[in-house]
Amino acid sequence: MADQGGSQHGIARTSRVRTEEQKLLEQEKIRKYRELEDQVRSHVSQNHYTPEVFQLTSRLLKLNPEYYTIWNDRRRLLISGLLSKPSVGSSPSRASPSSSQSATTTTPSAASSSSSSTATPPRPASPTAGTSGTTADDEVSTQQQQENDRDVLKSELNFTIPLLLESPKCYWIWSYRLWLLNLAIERLPTAAARRIWEEELGLASKMLSKDQRNFHAWGYRRHVVAQLESAELGGSSMAEAEFEYTDKMIRKDLSNFSAWHSRSKIIPRLLDEWKADDAARRAFLDKELGLIRDALNVGPEDQSLWYYHRYLMLNLVNFVGHPTITPAFTQEDRVTYVVREIEDIRELLEDYDDVQLIYEALFDYTLHLCQLEERQPDPEERVELAGWLKKLMVLDPMRSGRWADLERDTGLVAEVAALE
Amino acid sequence: MDFSSELSDTLWDVVICGTGLPQSLLALSLSRSGKNILHIDPNDYYGSAEAAFSLQEADDWVARHSTTAASSTSVFKSASITKPENVVGLSFPRAYTLALAPQLIHARSELLSQLVSSRAYRQVEFLAVGSFFVFKPSSSPSLAPTLVRIPSTREDVFSTTAISAKAKRGLMKFLKFVVDYNSSPQTESWHPYADVPLVDFLREHFKMDAELQTYIITLTLSLDGRISTKDGLATIHRHLSSMGMLGPNFAAVYPKWGGISEIAQVSCRAGAVGGAVYMLGNGIKEMTVGENEISLELTSGDKVRTRRLFRGEGTGGDETGIGRLVAIISSPLKSLFEPTIEGAPKPGVAVIAFPTGSLASAGEADIDCPIYVLAHSSDTGECPIGQSVLYLTTLSSSDSKNTLHRALESMLIALDGEQQRPESLYHLYYEQAGSSMRSQQEDLIFGFPPPSLSLSFDDATLGPVREAWNVVMGEAGVGTDYMAFPDREGYVDDDEMYD
Repeated sequence: MADQGGSQHGIARTSRVRTEEQKLLEQEKIRKYRELEDQVRSHVSQNHYTPEVFQLTSRLLKLNPEYYTIWNDRRRLLISGLLSKPSVGSSPSRASPSSSQSATTTTPSAASSSSSSTATPPRPASPTAGTSGTTADDEVSTQQQQENDRDVLKSELNFTIPLLLESPKCYWIWSYRLWLLNLAIERLPTAAARRIWEEELGLASKMLSKDQRNFHAWGYRRHVVAQLESAELGGSSMAEAEFEYTDKMIRKDLSNFSAWHSRSKIIPRLLDEWKADDAARRAFLDKELGLIRDALNVGPEDQSLWYYHRYLMLNLVNFVGHPTITPAFTQEDRVTYVVREIEDIRELLEDYDDVQLIYEALFDYTLHLCQLEERQPDPEERVELAGWLKKLMVLDPMRSGRWADLERDTGLVAEVAALE
Repeated sequence: MDFSSELSDTLWDVVICGTGLPQSLLALSLSRSGKNILHIDPNDYYGSAEAAFSLQEADDWVARHSTTAASSTSVFKSASITKPENVVGLSFPRAYTLALAPQLIHARSELLSQLVSSRAYRQVEFLAVGSFFVFKPSSSPSLAPTLVRIPSTREDVFSTTAISAKAKRGLMKFLKFVVDYNSSPQTESWHPYADVPLVDFLREHFKMDAELQTYIITLTLSLDGRISTKDGLATIHRHLSSMGMLGPNFAAVYPKWGGISEIAQVSCRAGAVGGAVYMLGNGIKEMTVGENEISLELTSGDKVRTRRLFRGEGTGGDETGIGRLVAIISSPLKSLFEPTIEGAPKPGVAVIAFPTGSLASAGEADIDCPIYVLAHSSDTGECPIGQSVLYLTTLSSSDSKNTLHRALESMLIALDGEQQRPESLYHLYYEQAGSSMRSQQEDLIFGFPPPSLSLSFDDATLGPVREAWNVVMGEAGVGTDYMAFPDREGYVDDDEMYD
């Protein structure tokens, strides 16, 4: 039992051996990978679209999900193999443009492969499949086909999940999922297809939960929501639910460009859906301004918050030819709101006197106010603007060129100089 | 093979007496060393002063520590158990695991890094410590007191409705200050206040009102409420930099099944796997210290010889102690354990503070220090589903038992929801002596200090363990990574995909 000086011996030695061992293990991994790759490519080039090759693509894709050629091979394998062949006259699908597109992405070899493939799984087809007419047998086989396809699609979707967990931003995996989801619309009854898309929304939420600034995931979520709202999936508007979702995400982390951006995109639709009248719209704007003001109160250095505030301000100021939250606002209303915002932002300076974005906002919005009132800044405003600009020059000397341009363009050179 | 003769024939490299946390961590640290280690404990359970008990074990323990005089053999005294009359609902004894050391462990704690690098973390299940609350006495007799959640992240401050916009800005400025408190220009601001209470610094430099001050002090878990600026800033910095480290919106974790006791057990297990011999229910009866070895006669009658002995030393008493009340509650107290934001794990532990002066004095002496409550849901495994366990702590005094009972009552009133008022089913009270936490070494005997009373695990506990390890390893330890082990053979990882 006793081993004099055993530990130093044990730890130092083991780590050295491990490094060499690791090298050998790596080389072995590389060899196995290359072998697998060669196998798959060889089979595919010989049009061997068999279940065995299908399994090989599974293994290869697990090791390298970025290998998009193999994803394409897998698509072909599915279409020529596990998925039921759409039979003439008994098709349950709505012929959507997307489906014909996906059909054309398969190469001509796919068509020829079904005749030359050696071990395609048998189609669950009844003898009457292929003939027109609506006999009971036809309906049964359609149902069987749909069930088969549903199972296949679900299994494929499950296959991609562990891959996504490891490589959440890999385009090829998401693209494959989308392809599967579109097949669901094409081949399954509406209810079944809808369920699959609802699960997809759940997945998008999970991805965002793991990394809420993954803008791929936000874009993907918007796409999924759009599909769920579409007639093809028997949907209706989800604007309210999505609006609440952005709220949840913001409370989780204020600094979330994508969440605020999504929110801004949903607002016009939401107001339309609610058939909000002018009073309701004003109340809504008040609430949003209150929310962003609270956020800026604790995070004035955060650019995503200022972007959203800017979006709301532009609603007030850039209203010609753009849909806005409060189209019925009078000039007086707009001026009142802009003035109040500037005041509230000024209050932040009480406690945050060196946050650059505050000064930038004050500068911008004061100019916007003047623009709104179709006038130039008055002498008092000019002194203020100069003061803020001077502060920006101190806080951000790297952008001295930009501040110099601003100084010149707004004719404030003299005022700024006077502050030296 | 005769076990007894194996014990006495071997010249042990190390005998460790006691399975408290430092001794157990020592066993863990030596678990790959190949040393001959005999690890004994006079109790018939693991954990010593950090053990966790079923109700039956608690009864036995209380019987041994009920004396009210300061003990010469234990840090514990004045232990008692009471059960309210006419109250039903207490489950069978083994349904409970009451922790003597219910400390929460901050994510940034060195203890967690060591558990990870030694691979021992794999055997421990951790729960998130969620919200920190402050007890707010009712402003009028007709209103109930409330618990107010303390915001400690930007998003918390954003969402809370309990403080004004201006106060929020003040709080944000302080939080930002703390994140960088050891750099200039922050250091220039607080160094003059280093040894002065943190409340003074908050009031004078940050112009914080009393309410915000209590929020900050609560985050420090300062037992006397008078933590110095230097120590207070360090503690809050640890809290803030731990926030989000292991998952969204929580700063600390708690080991399931009895807190620190679980870590001690897992460490001993690792020691055993590494070859150490374990004997519970066995202590040291007599000892003879020679020049190069110690002869021990154990209570079992076995005689062993060892090069070195490591044990828990001292009964403390040189620093203020604490009074603790462990109460089993008949309700799950759901409002304490709600996840705070989307995607955050459900917390198993919540912290509630009664700031100094918040507990109305009932004609008795003013309570001049805070009371802290560590609330544990049944997710901790410490009680059955539908119940919870509260650990109340305050500095010990002649009146601490009474104070803690009153705090418990006020808290249950504050938690009175739509359903029945939560009731307590069981009370365990005891006092624990404080210590200045220094290890002692005399010749071949190394003594670990008594446990820290800090409610959040104090990394200072780890220092003596490292010292002890150095003593054992000597020259051979130089250049070796401490508490860093590779996984043992047979551990499976992801590379199986290639097969």
